[in-house]
Amino acid sequence: MNDMRLIDRAVDMKDIKIAARDVQVYYGDNHAIKDVNVDIADKTVTAFIGPSGCGKSTFLRSLNRMNDTIDICRVEGNILLDGEDIYDKQVDPVQLRAKVGMVFQKPNPFPKSIYDNVAYGPRIHGLAKNKADLDEIVEKALRRGAIWDEVKDRLDKPGTGLSGGQQQRLCIARAVATEPEVLLMDEPCSALDPIATAQVEELIDELRENYSVVIVTHSMQQAARVSQKTAFFHLGNLVEYGETGQIFTNPVDPRTESYITGRIG
Amino acid sequence: MTDATNSGAQAPKTSLIAHDARTKKRNSAEKRFRAYGVTAIGIGLFFLTVLFYSILKSGLPAFTTTVLSVEFTMTQEQYDEAEGTMLKTAKYQGFFNDGLAAQLAETGVEVEYDAKTIERIAGKTGNLIRAHYQENPNTIGSPVTFDLPTSSRVNRYINGEFTKDEVEDSRFLEAADLDLVDVMLASGTIRTVFDWNFITGKDSGVDNPGGAGIGASVIGSFFMMLVVLVLSLPIGVAASIYLEEFAPKNRWTDLIEVNISNLAAVPSIVFGILGLAVFIQFMHLPQSAPLVGGLVLTLMTLPTIIISTRASLKAVPPSIRDAALGIGASKMQAVFHHVLPLAMPGILTGTIIGLAQALGETAPLLLIGMVGFVAREYPEGFIQGFVEPNSAMPAQIYTWASRADAGFYEKAWGGIIVLLAFLLTMNIIAIILRRRFERRW
Repeated sequence: MNDMRLIDRAVDMKDIKIAARDVQVYYGDNHAIKDVNVDIADKTVTAFIGPSGCGKSTFLRSLNRMNDTIDICRVEGNILLDGEDIYDKQVDPVQLRAKVGMVFQKPNPFPKSIYDNVAYGPRIHGLAKNKADLDEIVEKALRRGAIWDEVKDRLDKPGTGLSGGQQQRLCIARAVATEPEVLLMDEPCSALDPIATAQVEELIDELRENYSVVIVTHSMQQAARVSQKTAFFHLGNLVEYGETGQIFTNPVDPRTESYITGRIG
Repeated sequence: MTDATNSGAQAPKTSLIAHDARTKKRNSAEKRFRAYGVTAIGIGLFFLTVLFYSILKSGLPAFTTTVLSVEFTMTQEQYDEAEGTMLKTAKYQGFFNDGLAAQLAETGVEVEYDAKTIERIAGKTGNLIRAHYQENPNTIGSPVTFDLPTSSRVNRYINGEFTKDEVEDSRFLEAADLDLVDVMLASGTIRTVFDWNFITGKDSGVDNPGGAGIGASVIGSFFMMLVVLVLSLPIGVAASIYLEEFAPKNRWTDLIEVNISNLAAVPSIVFGILGLAVFIQFMHLPQSAPLVGGLVLTLMTLPTIIISTRASLKAVPPSIRDAALGIGASKMQAVFHHVLPLAMPGILTGTIIGLAQALGETAPLLLIGMVGFVAREYPEGFIQGFVEPNSAMPAQIYTWASRADAGFYEKAWGGIIVLLAFLLTMNIIAIILRRRFERRW
């Protein structure tokens, strides 16, 4: 977590969690993602950066088939999760999304109690045998979401009553409560103030121990702070993908350099 | 800085205190618009006031009735004597008249009258007196107070609908009778009482407005609304959830959507003739039955419920759906666990508004025979409530309004008050439900 020594950041070679091959995404006639090939490593934070409308969120949403909910959206190519094609006809997107959790741009807790927010996932997936089990899962998830101490005395209060940063951490806790393997985050800090952002970033760094985390962000500083790998998207193309240190200090592609130095985007 | 003398600037400086012509024009346009708005609201309120005033003025007398109150004691001998004769009721009527005469004598009345006068004022009283003693033989020998309803003409005279001078003598009423009425009013022998029979009673024949009540048709409306609620709520909500959340957006669903909106604008009499053709002529369901009325009104209410349900489903933010789907809920779980509870207040409000609309609907009931049916009986049981012929509140009002006897005129207005009271109650329930279940997100 030190911006000044990006080069020194150790990147071990980890197992590949998600492999995307020749992925194309269309919105009707609009070709939103073109020929994207990317390997996302396990127990690593991978950041997607790029100007608005470059397709990074679209690509992120195709990793857990959230794009299925959009009628006109069509995905081609292969996305493999642990070697299995997630767009295979036999794959149930619901089961996939239990494995690949998602945190959204705007904190979106359910208008229910804090406890029920976190317990909802485990309940529908049958992860808890009894109430005590469920209590334990909820506490563990809230601790991982780094929000347990703030809410432990008011678990029955509505989740919508928390502050923005707390809500987002609650949403992260809710996502990890279902024991996913991959956590997708779509600009999780864009609606938060700097202090809340710092808390969430710290949390993302901790989550790396257990999950493969993919984060879309508009803030290059944030990408530099939290990620080990960075992918730069531009106009639907994956321009450059590599270790964060290398992308920010020594980009290969001139477009990447223009973007991170602020000349485009 | 109020003057505009700074010549250094390219455009001449304007003052903030002195308005220029453009600003003045703009401000006066705004003022005019506000005046139009206030006028429009004022006109609306004026008409509303006039409406309520006239309804209450014409309708409230329907809730009261005038009774001829006479206390007398029937001895065992008199009873035996009356039961022993051929014209039993005439005998009882005689006893009643004697009792009345005694009561009037006590108050020192000096008006000429005869038995016919009493009959014109209170009708043939013998029946009621005899019925009382047949049912309560133990009251023989002790004083009993009889409150017998006066004729509708006397009732209307007491309500001030006409004066003594306007009366043309007929076999129903003579001007001289009203002198006696005045005296009896003054002495308290004729009293005005709240007419429970109007609220709980059944419809009477065409010549007895005094005995007509709206109770039976309230029951008819109740059973109809039950049918409407049980059918249209699940069908409407299921249809809207499917269309809004699951159906693909293509030409067919667009077509369905347009048609639902059009159905909401179809005149209700069209649904009535559809009901006549399908439910009565084709399916041979009983005529004038609340079941058929309910089915027809269901057809009419469905578009309203579907449209309001879809609107409230649309109003649930998509982030809630994303959140549920994102942690691996199925589409159906997302809808039923999260979207539907949030849309519930809107759905309930829409349903109640739809029901209220159906409750006041008359035109479709014309065609399935509920208008004009004289609801003389209550249904015998719950099932019979659906299939036995009955009337409904608006149909009853329509029936009364078209009857010749002027006494029914005020009954019709009174019926409208009852109907409005029901509608108002339903709307208040809708508001309370909306307030209570409304959640923020």
